[in-house]
Order: sequence, then structure tokens, then C-alpha cells
Amino acid sequence: MLKWLLRGLRHGVVTTGYPARTEPAPPGFRGRISVLDGAAAPESFADLCPTGAIQVKDGLVSLDRGRCILCGACVANAPDRFAFEATYETAVRRRSALVVGDEAAAALEEALPTLGDRSRTLRRSVHIRHVDGGSDGAEEWEIQALTNPYYDMQRLGLFFTPAPRHADVLLVTGGVTHSMREPLLRTYEVMPEPKAVVAVGTDACSGGFSATMGEVAGGVDQVLPVDVYVPGSPPAPIAILHGLLLAAGVVTREAAA
Amino acid sequence: MSAEELAREDPLLRALQGAGAVEEEPLRDPVRRLHVPLAELATATQSLIEAGGHFSGIFRSEADDSLRALLALRGELVVLRATLDSARSYPALSRVTPAALLPERELYDVSGVVPLDHPQLEPVLRPNADELQRVVTGPETFVIPYGPIRSGVFEAIQFPIDTGGEDILAFTVRPYFKRRNLEARFPGLDFDQGAYLAERVAGTESVAEALAFAQAVERVAGIEAPRLAQRWRVVHAELERIANHLDVGIKLAEDAALSVGVARFGVLKEQVMRLRARLCGNRFGRGVVVPGGIREKPLLQPAEVIEAIDAFEEDFRGDRSLLLATTSLTDRLIGSGRLDAETVIRYGGVGPIARACSLGIDARLERPYGAYGRLGFRIARATDGDAMARFEVRLDEIDQSLHLIRQALERMNVETAALRNAVSEASGEGCGWAEAPNGEVIYWLVLAGGLVEEAHIVSPSLRDWPLLSESYRGDVLTDVSFIEHSFGLTPAGADR
Amino acid sequence: MSVVLAIGYAGLVAAVLTAALSARAAAYVAAVACGLVGAVGIATAAGYTHASFSIGSWLGFGQTMLVSDGLAGIFLAATGVTGAAVSLALAQRNPSRLVGALHALILLAICVVIGSDQAFVFLLAWETITLSLYLLGSADRDRPGALFAGYFAGGMSKLGGGALLAAFALLYAKTGSFEFAVWAHQAPHLGDARDVAFVLFVIAFGSKLGLIPFQGPLPGLYAAAPGPSAATISIAFYAAFYGLWRLVFSILGTPPLWWGELVVSVGALTALVGILYAIAQDEIKRFLGYSSVEHAGIATIGLGLALVGEAAHLPRLAAAGLLAATLQLLMHGVTKALALLAADRVQTATGQEEMRPLGGLGPRLPLTAAGFGLAVVSLAALPPFGGFVSEWLMFMALLQAFRVNDTIAELVLALGGAALALTAGIALLAFAKLYGGIFLGRAREQLGRLHAPTRPAPGFVALALIALVLGPIAPWEIRWLGHGLEGLVGSDLIAQAVSFPLVLGPVYKGFSVMSPTWLAAGLTTFGLAAFVLVRLLARPRVRRAPVWVSGTAVPIATVQYKPEAYSNPIRVVLSGLYRFKRTVEVRQDNGKEIRVARTRMVPFFEDYFYRPIAAGSLLLSGRLRRLQSGNLGMYLLYILIVLLAALALIPALSR
Repeated sequence: MLKWLLRGLRHGVVTTGYPARTEPAPPGFRGRISVLDGAAAPESFADLCPTGAIQVKDGLVSLDRGRCILCGACVANAPDRFAFEATYETAVRRRSALVVGDEAAAALEEALPTLGDRSRTLRRSVHIRHVDGGSDGAEEWEIQALTNPYYDMQRLGLFFTPAPRHADVLLVTGGVTHSMREPLLRTYEVMPEPKAVVAVGTDACSGGFSATMGEVAGGVDQVLPVDVYVPGSPPAPIAILHGLLLAAGVVTREAAA
Repeated sequence: MSAEELAREDPLLRALQGAGAVEEEPLRDPVRRLHVPLAELATATQSLIEAGGHFSGIFRSEADDSLRALLALRGELVVLRATLDSARSYPALSRVTPAALLPERELYDVSGVVPLDHPQLEPVLRPNADELQRVVTGPETFVIPYGPIRSGVFEAIQFPIDTGGEDILAFTVRPYFKRRNLEARFPGLDFDQGAYLAERVAGTESVAEALAFAQAVERVAGIEAPRLAQRWRVVHAELERIANHLDVGIKLAEDAALSVGVARFGVLKEQVMRLRARLCGNRFGRGVVVPGGIREKPLLQPAEVIEAIDAFEEDFRGDRSLLLATTSLTDRLIGSGRLDAETVIRYGGVGPIARACSLGIDARLERPYGAYGRLGFRIARATDGDAMARFEVRLDEIDQSLHLIRQALERMNVETAALRNAVSEASGEGCGWAEAPNGEVIYWLVLAGGLVEEAHIVSPSLRDWPLLSESYRGDVLTDVSFIEHSFGLTPAGADR
Repeated sequence: MSVVLAIGYAGLVAAVLTAALSARAAAYVAAVACGLVGAVGIATAAGYTHASFSIGSWLGFGQTMLVSDGLAGIFLAATGVTGAAVSLALAQRNPSRLVGALHALILLAICVVIGSDQAFVFLLAWETITLSLYLLGSADRDRPGALFAGYFAGGMSKLGGGALLAAFALLYAKTGSFEFAVWAHQAPHLGDARDVAFVLFVIAFGSKLGLIPFQGPLPGLYAAAPGPSAATISIAFYAAFYGLWRLVFSILGTPPLWWGELVVSVGALTALVGILYAIAQDEIKRFLGYSSVEHAGIATIGLGLALVGEAAHLPRLAAAGLLAATLQLLMHGVTKALALLAADRVQTATGQEEMRPLGGLGPRLPLTAAGFGLAVVSLAALPPFGGFVSEWLMFMALLQAFRVNDTIAELVLALGGAALALTAGIALLAFAKLYGGIFLGRAREQLGRLHAPTRPAPGFVALALIALVLGPIAPWEIRWLGHGLEGLVGSDLIAQAVSFPLVLGPVYKGFSVMSPTWLAAGLTTFGLAAFVLVRLLARPRVRRAPVWVSGTAVPIATVQYKPEAYSNPIRVVLSGLYRFKRTVEVRQDNGKEIRVARTRMVPFFEDYFYRPIAAGSLLLSGRLRRLQSGNLGMYLLYILIVLLAALALIPALSR
């Protein structure tokens, strides 16, 4: 055990200071895609996107980040209108906030109160139950990464719990397949109030690639009320952390549009 | 060589021809195609297996309403094609090899074609979590439905465990909880989009899946990716392999409550993921591999990558030796979940699981693709077949991966070479494969007019799941998570 | 008081006779009589009075008195109280006349054993107990294997009775009298006969208690006894313990060291084997039978410790051991009878003898569950109940082993303590399995309508209340025991276990302290306070959600742990002791493959001890049977041989 200790000491502290300090993404990191202003867009832009995230109406182009799998096809074909942003914070509290580009298209919905609003103590300690509703496996890696020394979510009072009866936040990945629908609903039912649901990954926000297949419900919000959406394919650990803290009410700043 | 000349050379082929097999136009070495009568499909499969072949998968091709059975034989892929008739049934291959049990059930659920005499023809694709699956009855036994939601951040799969309280009487694997039917999403996509989709079939093996897809397209088009692109593909694929094997280490250390091991291997894995992000903008290497080559210039110079690799290797060596010296972990792994080579061969197992039973099964050496034919490395093998052997194989493979990455990056001429060759007008059917971290993944594609018409995926995780049931001999409940994590399979890849 | 005692005994006789008319009435009469005897016992043990009456000499061998002095008073009190409650419970169950008569007969015989002052009456009553056990064990003719249970129990008891007869005969030969007082007086001059008598006494009383290797018949006997009469059988333990206390500890005088070491070893082994077998049982009454074996072993450890103390001239150690052992047997007697009554109620309600098909009976049989729960927490030695007090005192007494200056004795005591600790740990698991398997969780099989007992159960409730308070009132019990055991360990030593106010310690002051009274008071107070606070301050909004089964809605009854699963790890680890093997056989049924698991468990003693001995004795008796050839000529020859031998021997002996 002593050797482990010495190794750890030699490597020093690698933990990020997020959210107290900003954590910049490496250059070129594909965090999310932004729509740049420009001339009227042709209808063919909508065909650029394999998941149908791009809509063109009256020359105005909008991008639904909840459907965007960050493939970069739009950026490669129309670099003057679409660009990657190297940012980690991508979580939002309303589904409509994921649609960017055409402001008028984004309906204004009420944001649900955060856990922190409903119970002050939950700002300091939040227990999280993860349920896989049919993801591709990458989001689970990123969620598990939150416990490694780089991110160490436990210093912020976030913990994973195996028992849904002890959980405050339900973290769902994947677009909810047929077989996982009932188990997911059961998990939600068994959690005590107040609780929040965080949808992690583009599959969870909208069903992603499999949204058009009959096997998947098309996003967690088709099954449960979702408090926070964290888009990305998969979202980086900091992005998931941002989403969790948003749900808990520890941070209030959502991802900027 | 013509088909007849080939047949004269190959006694096996002669024997199969006696059963009515007809060799078709070879799909470019090393894929051989044989057309057999439907009634002889099972016997032909049996002959191939007796000759040393491994069953890989079976599916129905819409293009010509035929069944395709894939087998690997002496470094070649053999595709048996049998046209279906109006009876919509055929003699089940499960009678010949247990490796066909799950694929044939899936085939039946998807297409309605009945495998006759299949021992367990029940619906498999949309498992109902509320049904209890019991294998062993008896007054003193009961079933623990372990899953689909388990205690921890894991993918969804259910393991009904028949137990008497501590001893395990039967361990069943019940996949398909995460069925997204992505194979049916491929038709209509162009090759670019197809690569994006392939990456998301098994998220932790994105590069390998995209590689298999891309090489299938390239094989149909009859081209190869540029040498520089092949080298970068090797770098990404091996980085992915390292990340997967480190993840297995994290999970095993967590099972043994070795927090320092979890933390140190977590740091190592994070270093690899961050390197991949710096290299291509995505922590999982997505958006790199595309049919024809790679999409963009990498964001790092080869020297920077080697520098990162060197730092990583130094850390890894120290952590690995400490981990292997920690008896609280190794005692739990040694002797747990022992598999023997015959069982692995019978079930057509692939990947580190097979190599831990001293079988030399690795697609990079059997059917070299890309730059692997020109790079030197050896297969990591172990003999015991238990959880410790599987772990050691993975740790060995990390060393080999680092060696491969260094070879791929040395003397790399980044300035001049092209990154991508055009494949836009490929048409026909073809097969591509890659050695994913869990074993060989095979893509069978039918292309037409620049679009994908049909896609079928043979997943290594699905092939290896039955081995998990077979590996619980005399183990107890507390060994469950060690054995399962030593397998390191991904349900998303198996369920597709 | 003597009059009351006489009335009590007479009442028991009357109960036996009344049973010919109505078993119910007999049970009531027995209850009253037991109550009287118990009252006298309490009074005499406390030292207030002395009670005795003479039954003349018509039973043989001189004037016989039935006496209730300090020691007898303790045991009479225990028998009386427990007997009264069990009699009331029996009356509720409307037993057959045979069972009613045997119940009263056992109680009478036990009281006579405890009260007699001479060996012949003692033996007579002892054998009456044996006979009654045999008859009770075989009373239920419809039960498969019932006759065997009776035979086995009767046979083992007869073995003990034989040893007892031999011991009494030896002592009579040495002292010329059957009176206990005479034996006590002459004990120091008996020489080797004392050691032989000691061993024979241990065999005799051990066979009734179930000490190793005589534990075989007891669980089967409990299971075979009809209705609540299993509780009656458990009262017979008092007689056996009394025999050990009186004859070994009191009458045989200052023992050598090896007596104590032997008794401790036997006790420790018994306790361990008892609980290891108990945890592997599926039938409720067999489980309780093996648990009785375990507790008998624990009390015997205490007795052995007291013998060691006497031998090493450490009266405080003897007092500590004897106190712990007496308290242990008292606690066990009450709670085991309660447990057996509750088990009978469960059996009546569900018709099941095994734990396996039960489950979830708590809400459906609340009174039974509460009573059983009280019995279980005491038997499993959970604070602040009686079983915990006695076991704590036992541990504290064993920890005094360092005061003995003999290495072997210290080693034996240390090993005894270790075995006791292991037993206590396994007992927790075993009783969790028992209680959880019957009353908690969900029902594993559809039991249909329960025939829950609806009539009030005064005996059961009374016993439950006694079990509830036995722990917290321990300081007063110990003071009372101190008076009763004065004759054995000197005055005032036991009373030193209680220091002011209401705090217990082993007889050695300052070693350690514990107070079940304050603990019980504190637990109740805090519990009530918490309940009131929650009611006042919290907003009780309750939403019910289903039990979590990994996200599935599989019926819980099929996936919850079965009772055997609790004992599975131990059975696998100690497979040598259990000869435990589980096989899965694969069968073909309509073309489908079916796998069935079969478990085989053969207890160690049955295979390696009882069966060979039984086979050997059958073989021997088969050989001997040839002597009875039926041939008149052979018999005449035998007579001739014996006559000639006698004629030859007489001159030789007279020389």
C-alpha cells in the first residue's frame, strides 16, 4: 500500500477546479455545433444532416442540438454557416433551448424548478442513479469517468447510489428501447420526491440515429419528464458534470445559446 | 484461378461440392463464397467446422432472399449462400454448432425464417424484464434476476442466476435489452453517413466498427486507403484498444475494492481519452475513419503523439506491476471463471477471451487488413483460461498496441501523402472486418449507386456472451462480477 | 408452605387421573397445580420459607420426603411457571386424553425428580419421564416416522437411565443408603467411585439434555410430539439440569480439575454441533430441537466452569460460572417453551412443518409473530433480553480463566470461550433464517386460508410477557438466584453480581458492567421519544412504491432468498460435517431439457456414530439370540452350568 501512496503523491493533484474555475476544452474539440449568421440558406442544407437535425424554413436555418451527433458533415460542407465550438458546457434545462439558429422557432417553455430550489440540502449532496435506456455504451464510459481523479465528482457532493430509493437524480442514457421502458418507469416511480431526471447524450435527448426505428421511444422525454438535457455524442465528462450541477441547482448558468 | 481449378486444389471444397456446393466468384481474397442448396446448409457448415472452421454468424440477405452463413477457416472467411424457398425454413445450424443458437433466434425474430429443430426457438429480440427465466428447478433453488438495471453505472443486460444461496447452478445471459435495430437504419445512407452510424453501433468500439464498415466498402470498390491514412487508422484503433483494456482494469479493481487501482487506472484511461480528443476532436475517435481513408488531418504531429505515448507507458508500467502484485485482486481472479479451449472453439469465441485459452485467434494476423500486414507484433496469449489469464492477455495487448502505434508513427511523412481515396460509385456486396478490442467484428454490406442497401453486423460481444454462461463452474455469487468484468463485453455491440 | 406444596403435588396427580375423563380439564388442573408448585418454589428459593412433606416409605427404601430447598426451589419455580403456561396452551388445543395424561405425568415426574431427597424415588420419577417421552414421541400414529422418533428417544433415555441406575447402585454399595444427604456427607471418602459416578451422571443427564453424542433423538422427538406437547418435553430439561446441579455439583463434593475440563469440552462441542446442525434444518421443530441442544451445551459450559472454580479453590469463579449457567437454563426454558408453542400455532394455522413453503406470515398471524419474535431475540442473545444477559455473564465468567493457575484448564476454558463465540455468531444467522423464513418477506407458496387460532391464548401471552421482562428484571432474578444457590457456592457471592443501581457484572467486581434494566428503559424511552417527535415535527406524507427487484416486476416470492440460502455458505464450507452435495441432473421431458437440482445432506453423527453402533448392537444381539434356541434341553443345560458355577464360586468367595 505504501508504494501506491508514493505513486499517488508523486503524480500530484490532477483534479480539475470545475465549476469554481473554468475548464477549457482542448483546441479542436467537438463540443457542439453553432449556426453562424449568413445569407438565406438553401433547402438542401437539411439533407446534410444524417439525423435530420437541420431544418430550413424560409431561408432560416435552425439546428436541433438534441439530434446532432457531432459528425461534422454540415461543417465540412457549409463551413460558413456551421462551425464546431470547443466547449464543454452544453447542458440546458428546456428541450427548446437545444434548437439554435432560428430564434422564432424556439418555443418558450417554463423551466422546471431545480432540485436545489425544492430542497436546500440537496445542493450539497446529491445521489445519482444511472439507468441505461439503450445507449451505445460510450455515455456510460463518460459517466464512469466522473469518479476518476481528474473530475472527482464526490468533492462536489455528487455520489452514485445503487438503490433508487436513495436517489435524487435519475441519469438516463440512451433513447429508451422497448425492453427498458418499463424498468426505467419503475425506477422513476420508486425514487422519492424531490427528484430530477437528466438525459445524457444525443440518443437520450432525441433518440439519435435510431429515432426513426420502431425500437426506440425517441428520447427520454417521451417516457419521463426531463429536467436537464445534456447533448453530445457522447458528451464529455465536464458536460455531464455541468448537467448534474444544473439539475441540483448548484450552478445556474445554462449553456449559452 | 478459376473456380474449378480452385476446387481441384482444395479437398475440403471437393467434399463440399459433393454436397452440392458451388464456388462463386471469390470476393477478393481472403473471402470465399460458396452456394449450397438450402437443405445442405447445415451439413456444409458441419464439414467446415470439422475441418477446423469457426462459425461467425448467419443472417438473411434481402437482396436475393438468401441465407448467408459466415465461417472463418484457416485464415479465410467462407460465406455459404443458400437461397430460401417458399417454405421459409431450413435445417437449423444450432444442431451442428452451439455458436448459432442466438444468431438463429434473432434471424427468426427478424425475418420469420424458421430454423428447423432449433432447441430453443423462443422470441429473443424484445425481452420482457418481468418474465422470470429459470433453468434449474428444485425445492432448494431460486433465481436472482441480476439486471437489467444493476447496481453501478453499467449497460443494460440481464443475467438470471439460478442459485441455492451461494453456489451458482446456472448462469444465463439474456441480451437484447438494448436492441435499437441499427442494422435496419443503414439502407439509404451514403458511405459517409454509414460510417457515422457504424461508429454508434458499439460506442466503445467506434473505430473498429467504422474500420470494418469502411473496409467492406473499400473491398467492394476494389480500392485501398492511402498508406498514410492506414497508419493513422492503426493509431486510432490501437488507442481504442488500450482504452478498452484499461477500462477492464478499472472495473476489476473496483470489484476488488482496490480504490487506488481504480484511481490510477482511471488516470491512465483519462490520459488516453484526452490524447484521442487532442488528436481528432472526439474522445472516442469518432469522425476519423471513413470509406476511402480518414477524413481530416490529425490535429497533432506524430512526435507529439509519441511523446504522450512515452509518458503514458512509463506510468502504465509502474501501475501495472503494482496492480499485479496486489494479492487482494489477483487472488479473486486466479481460478475464477475458467474456460477451456474446446468450449471456446465450439461456441466460436473470439477476442481476448479466446486468446486467454491459448487460441491464436486475431483478425489482425489471420486476415491482415490495412497497415497490420506490414507491422510487426505478436498475439498476446495465456493458457489458464481463467479471469486472471484474460486480464493478463489484455495487459499484454496494451504493450503490443503501444508497439504498434510507435511503428505506425515512425518515419511518417505527413506532408505529402493523400488522406482519402474516392469510393463514391461502389456497387455490389462485400465483407469487411476489424479486430475490435473484444474480438473480430465483421460487416457484410450490399451497396448500390453510392448508397448502402443492406448491412449485417457480426458482433464479437454477441459471439462471446454464451461463453459467460459456460464459465461458471464451481464459482459462487461473489465471483459473478469478477468473471463478468474480466470478459469485458459490451451489450450495445451485441444487441445492435 | 409445605401444605401448599403438598396440594400442588396432589393436584398434579389429580390431573393425571382427570385426563381419563377430559384432557382439557386435566390441563387446567395441571396449570393450577403447577402454579402452586411454582409459587412455593419462588418462595423457598428466595429464602423466605422452607417447604417439605413426607410421602412415607411405601415407594420403597426408607422414608421419602419431597423437599423444596434453595436449589430445588429454583427449579420448581421454573417448572411451575413454564408448566402452568404450557398447560394453559395445551388446554386451548383440545388434545387427546393420552396426550393430556402424559403431559400431566411428565410434569408430575419432573416435580418429583426435583423434590425427592433420596435416589430411589429420583430414579423412579426419572424413568417415568423416559416412559412418557417414549409414549409422547409415538403418540401421533399418523405421522410417518413417528414410531421411530419415540423409539430413538426412549432408547437414548433408557441408556441414560441405565447409567443413572449404575451410578446410584455404585453409590448405594459404597454408602449403604439411598439418601442424598448421606451421600453428600460421605462424598469425600468415596475415592475412585466418585469419578465413576461423575462420568455416569454426565452420561445419564447428558442423554436427556442432548449433549454430544446423545443429541440424535431430541430434534426428532420435538417434531414428532403432537401439538404443544413439544413444549412439555422441553420442560424435562429442568429435571436433567437439576440432576447435574444437585448430584454432580452439590453432592459429589469438591471435584478434581479434570471434571470441569471434561464438562466444558463436552459443553462447548455440544453447543457448536447443535447450532451447526440447527442452521441446516428446514423443519421448524427440528430446528428448535437442535437449538435446545446448543443451549444445553452453553449451560453445561457454565457448569464446567463452576466445577473448575471449585477444584481450583476459587469460590468466586465457581459462583460466576454457576450463576451464568443457571440463568442460561432458566432463560432457555422459558423462551424455548414459548418458541415451541408458537411453532405449534404456526403449524396449526398453515399445516406446514417446514420453513420452505412459508413466508410473509407476520401480518397474518400477528400474535404468533410477536411471541415467536420475543423467543427468537432471547434465544439469539440480543440485548436487552434474557438470553443476552445470561450469555454475557457466561462470556465474562469464561474470561476469568486467567485466574486459574493450571495451563490445561486455562486452555480448555479459552477454547470453550472461542467455541461459545462462534456459536453465538452462527446462532444469530440461524435465528434470522428461522424468523425471516417464516414471518418476513412474501409467502413462497400459496397457503390458501390460514386456520389462525382465534381463541384467546392466555398461556402463550403469559409466557411471551415473561420472556419480554426476563432480561430487564435480571438484577432481581440474580438476587433471588443468589439466595437459592447459597447452599452450593456460599452465601452472598452471587448477589455480588449486582451492584448498585441495577447494574450487572460478573461476580468479580470491577471487571465489566452491563445493565439490561437501564438498557431496556433507555431503549423504550428513546423509542417513544423518537416516535413522538416524528409525529409532531414531520409531515407524514407517505407514497407507497413496489419493492425494487432490479427494475423488473417479477413476483418477489420467487426471487427472495429461501431459508436454505442462509445456511448455504456454511453448508458448502463445512461440507465434511454435513456431507453436503448438490447435483444438477439433466432430464429430457417432452424433448425439452429440464434441470433439477438435488441436495443431499447427511449429518455426520448419524453416519459415523449412530448407524455403526446400531448395526453393531443388532449384530451382537443377533448372535446372542442364538442362546434362546427354544430347545428345552439347552435351557436345562444352562441351569446346570449356572448351578455348578455358583457352587464353585461360593466357597471361593467366602474365603
